[in-house]
Amino acid sequence: MKEHIIALLTEALPMVNIESDFLFSELDSLGVTTILMLLSEEYGIELDARDATPRNLKTIDAIVEMVKSKLANK
Amino acid sequence: MEQAIEHFAQLTPDKAAVISADETLSYSALWKRIRLRAKRLREEGIADGTPYVFVATQDADFIVTYIAVHLCGGISVPLDSSTPEERQQQIREEVSPPINGKNPLPSFRGNKWLNGKCSDILYTTGTTGKAKGVMVSKKAWTANAENLTDRLGFTSDLLFIICGPLSHLGSLSKIYPTLMNGGTLYIMESLKDLNAFFSVFQLPFPKFATFLVPSSIRMLLQVASKDLAAVAPKIDFIETGAAAITQSDMQRLCQLLPYSRLFNTYASTETGIVCSYEFSKYGCVPGLLGKPMKHSSVRIDGEGRVVCSGDTIMSGYVGSPELTAQILRGGEVFTSDLGSLDNQGMLRLQGRQDDVINVGGYKVNPLEVEEAVCSSGLVSECICLPAPHVLLGTVPKLLYVPGEGLETKPKDIADYLRGRIESYKIPLFYEAVEAIRHTYNGKPDRKTYRKD
Repeated sequence: MKEHIIALLTEALPMVNIESDFLFSELDSLGVTTILMLLSEEYGIELDARDATPRNLKTIDAIVEMVKSKLANK
Repeated sequence: MEQAIEHFAQLTPDKAAVISADETLSYSALWKRIRLRAKRLREEGIADGTPYVFVATQDADFIVTYIAVHLCGGISVPLDSSTPEERQQQIREEVSPPINGKNPLPSFRGNKWLNGKCSDILYTTGTTGKAKGVMVSKKAWTANAENLTDRLGFTSDLLFIICGPLSHLGSLSKIYPTLMNGGTLYIMESLKDLNAFFSVFQLPFPKFATFLVPSSIRMLLQVASKDLAAVAPKIDFIETGAAAITQSDMQRLCQLLPYSRLFNTYASTETGIVCSYEFSKYGCVPGLLGKPMKHSSVRIDGEGRVVCSGDTIMSGYVGSPELTAQILRGGEVFTSDLGSLDNQGMLRLQGRQDDVINVGGYKVNPLEVEEAVCSSGLVSECICLPAPHVLLGTVPKLLYVPGEGLETKPKDIADYLRGRIESYKIPLFYEAVEAIRHTYNGKPDRKTYRKD
């Protein structure tokens, strides 16, 4: 899942280093929204503004955990 | 504005003037900090007509510096935080051209294009398609503030949320009517942290307002419509502008915010804030921007271009009388926007005359992007074109021919551009092609690509 999400986000946000240890600080509002929209569509989960926290988007691993958690509670 | 802040520092000293993530400044604290900062700036040599170049941080301290420069009689030159260091240095040199080898800063007063009436220089791609320093006078700021107060209704009990860059007219222009009317500014870094944005509405203020570019509205509609609806009764007004908003986004916003006044405004750094249309009251018509405001006039020239005049217009471009003369003639700014006036005198935009790409309100000159990409050696040639984007409306797309023997990937180009041009200018979409089509005189054939 992690590699798939990296590929997906790298294609959508080529100017962002998706594997950065400080991913949230690299993102702008477009990046945050793009991540929420792409992952919602790809995994059929509901992600909204409340999920767009610095903690959830801190690193790619945090994003993967957020997706897994949403899938588990689906 | 300095006089207004001093006035409110005496009248309502404890009232919050500026709030940001790390601090709240009351009117008295703000005025005290401004005077202290001004003292320090004077010691650094900032005086009448001296440009002061600084990065526009999204916090209360920016407001302190910005106003303190004016209190010294200086010229504020706030730069976008993503402006590369090399470009910042170019701008410092551009606003301070050496004359006879001596410190030239006060020479600005001798610039006939300036006429001693410049309080800010704002860097924009704007009307000309080239990144230029636009000189804005104190008179223009006052007229902008009165236009906004008159049409949108800024009041002392309003908390205005700034979540866009303070180096640009859209957000910077709002500090004037807010503070001149004794209201409160809430400054956010951006809309990135949506939870932080919505938490502002929990503050004990009776009325809230903000300026959002159409792409930010689209983002909120996509991922935060429930949150927006939850704070609907608290929102007095939202102003949008700087790019086209779709009819469906206008309608959706009206549905979510039935108690709010929603405005679509026509403004640019060169023209100032000229027209605004309350689509929540008069109907969601795409491109309709309303009648000119009290200090502004609009006409359409023989080529269909929007021509603006009045007290809000710029004083000229820094160090470029030739370019100034192309755009500013006889007290009128000739924009590259195409439009019409209806029988009620309302302005309706119909596109642009040039190749500038509007990315969520930021203007991008494709030639600047192509030049930066070609300097990388990663491509043999390229062309930057507008492409549709679900959130931003349009974004730069790069068609490129990889350099000989290279397997250039989009990320290679994006990585090269980071730190060399502002982040919003970096193409979001890429396509490797075998060749770029050219016109008969060898230039990239933008027209046929746009028709594809």
